[in-house]
Amino acid sequence: MREITYLEAVREAMSQEMRKNEDVFILGEDIGIYGGAFGVTRGMLEEFGPERIRNTPISESAIAGTAVGSALTGMRPIMELQFSDFITIAMDQIVNQAAKLRYMYGGKGKVPMVLRTPSGSGTGAAAQHSQSLEAWVTHIPGLKVVQPSTAYDVKGLLKASMDDDNPVIFYEHKLLYKTKGDVPEEEYHIPLGQADVKREGKDVTIVATAIMVHRAQEAAEELEREGINVEVIDPRTLVPLDTETIIKSVTKTGRLVVVHEAVKRGGYGGEIASMIAESEAFDYLDAPIKRLGGAPSPVPYNPELERMHVPQKEDIVQAVKETLNRA
Amino acid sequence: MAKEIFMPKLSSTMEVGTLLQWFKEEGEEVEVGEPLFEIMTDKINIEVESYEEGTLLKKYNEVDDEVPVNTIIGYIGEADENVPNSAPVPESEENETDKQEEKDTSSVIGEKKEADCENGEKVRATPAARRVSREQGIMLEEVEGSGPKGRIHAMDVISSKELAQSIRHTPLAGKVADKEGVSLENVQGTGSNGKITKSDVLSASSMQVETTTQEPLEHVKLKGLRKAVADKMLESARSIPHVTLTAEVDMSAVVEVRKSLLPIIEKQTGYRLSYTEIIMTATAHVLGNHRKLNAALIDNEIVYNKSVNLGLAVAVDNGLIVPSVPNVQDKGLAELTVACKELGAKARKNKLDPVEMSGSTFTISNLGMYAIEGFTPIINPPETAILGVGQMTDKPVVRDKSIEIRPMMVLSLSFDHRAIDGAPAAAFLTELKERLENPFGLLV
Repeated sequence: MREITYLEAVREAMSQEMRKNEDVFILGEDIGIYGGAFGVTRGMLEEFGPERIRNTPISESAIAGTAVGSALTGMRPIMELQFSDFITIAMDQIVNQAAKLRYMYGGKGKVPMVLRTPSGSGTGAAAQHSQSLEAWVTHIPGLKVVQPSTAYDVKGLLKASMDDDNPVIFYEHKLLYKTKGDVPEEEYHIPLGQADVKREGKDVTIVATAIMVHRAQEAAEELEREGINVEVIDPRTLVPLDTETIIKSVTKTGRLVVVHEAVKRGGYGGEIASMIAESEAFDYLDAPIKRLGGAPSPVPYNPELERMHVPQKEDIVQAVKETLNRA
Repeated sequence: MAKEIFMPKLSSTMEVGTLLQWFKEEGEEVEVGEPLFEIMTDKINIEVESYEEGTLLKKYNEVDDEVPVNTIIGYIGEADENVPNSAPVPESEENETDKQEEKDTSSVIGEKKEADCENGEKVRATPAARRVSREQGIMLEEVEGSGPKGRIHAMDVISSKELAQSIRHTPLAGKVADKEGVSLENVQGTGSNGKITKSDVLSASSMQVETTTQEPLEHVKLKGLRKAVADKMLESARSIPHVTLTAEVDMSAVVEVRKSLLPIIEKQTGYRLSYTEIIMTATAHVLGNHRKLNAALIDNEIVYNKSVNLGLAVAVDNGLIVPSVPNVQDKGLAELTVACKELGAKARKNKLDPVEMSGSTFTISNLGMYAIEGFTPIINPPETAILGVGQMTDKPVVRDKSIEIRPMMVLSLSFDHRAIDGAPAAAFLTELKERLENPFGLLV
């Protein structure tokens, strides 16, 4: 199979859909000639023209409001936020309009839109351009939340998001844009709410999201050499969450480590840990659940400190060993 | 208004007191200054006098209860006053607990769980271990946990069951055991891989008969001073890395010194000078040059003491107490003899004040009256060293290439290797030996 980058997979998913479906268009800051802050839409203006690749003023609130309005009137907009940190400006449109309207009008209207936005640290972009705020939107009923970790997943999940009749918040990780993977040329669909077991194991379950999926897999390889057999699960979508796959895995391993880049306090890891504690898997837990997340501070600008702010492979190895009393 | 009676805090290290006896019954009149009850601290027995006048209304604690300091143990007031049926928790303590809870709820919960565990009420086990124990019908109380703080994991329950089932025995041994009523768990196997044979069962069975026909043994509960000594020794031996150095000292010169000073001091004070006081004087003198040994190790800090207060281990009925002789460096031998004799006598009569038993900076334990050469004394915490004194005996020694008979004595110095290294401890003991062999140095 052909290998392309995560970034190319995002672009390909949108282009293929736009060729088929006249209702799909993209709006965002500098997505036209410039190709977007990370170059995701580069070349698309030439193919689809300025009507469908729409540059907007620097107002996230206006972008989101336009997306909600056009979705209500039958379009299927994809809005791009340059950095996921800027969702703060769009929040009223997303939380009070996009998430609520279908419910409040008894299904007479719907908001089929995708909000694509890059999140995460590791690029030296400092505190206002490095956050992982996905837990905020998972709290709002009416929004679906997607966090793909591989090129294959990002294409199939974006297709599913564009097909969905509800607003989907689609997080792309900045450091993953350049990672490569095997991606089919044709369109395909990965259902929202279906986790992926990235690695099978029997001793400990790691549930990791976005870039942490890769660190968890590296940690698992290292632990394998010490005879520790780790299962790595990528939920892929936080809302809806594939609880069944996680519960089944923890029932098998009896141990759970949850890893995400977002600040640990109030992070989505707390939701996953609580879900397990309330579930059938409780009786199979053989060690306290561990959560790894970002430090409770703004993301530092110093590269060393920025690295220390988020869980690294060594932290995951250590946490797994602790749950096995082998630290 | 009824007044509380508290368990007093009599020294800085006292945390609990053991109630030895009440001198008054509930309903009896009490005067100010009358002895109300007697307690045992980590150092001493003491009678506690009443601060109030009135009627003893309530006693919350029985004899032998160990009561934390500042706990209410009773009430004094007017004869018809009402007091709570159970001892109230002091307010200050409650506040402290509140504060702690605010600070760190999780740690408080953790502590509580541990305490539960100690009381045997709750076992620390994972949900999986509990499920396995339910399914297999194994009591968690009987399983040893391998996790942190003894947490029981599922694997522990499984291996405990396997262990219980893994007693290997010959079929005949099994039959004999059934017949004789012997449990195979208590039988040591001598066959291959520890397999239990018929003869193992039979010998176990006869041993069982022997032990059951034995007289019941006398059991004495550790309490009072014995308990205090036991706790302190265990704490010291367990927490302090002890090293003991020994040195043999030629005591000829000290014998001369004592002989010439004995009548003078006896005439002046009425007490007879003993070798202990001379060793103390020399020790205080030498400690002046080796302040590391006249120190305390408290909470990862070495505290150097200014004065030399020598603790003197005194054997008493059912225990050991250590009165402290303060400022030995400033005392002449006459004054020191009086101090030592008086403290020793008080100690043996159990009349020491708590203040007379605290503040020592270095301890001397003299077993010279027994046939003991050297020994390994246990440090009196928080001190960092202790000197053991052995018996003085005439021994052949080599002097100027000929053999002479000299009164020889072994000094045993135990030191806390966290605070002191071997070389400085050896230097101290060497200088002490020189000082005793040449006491004129004490005049310098």
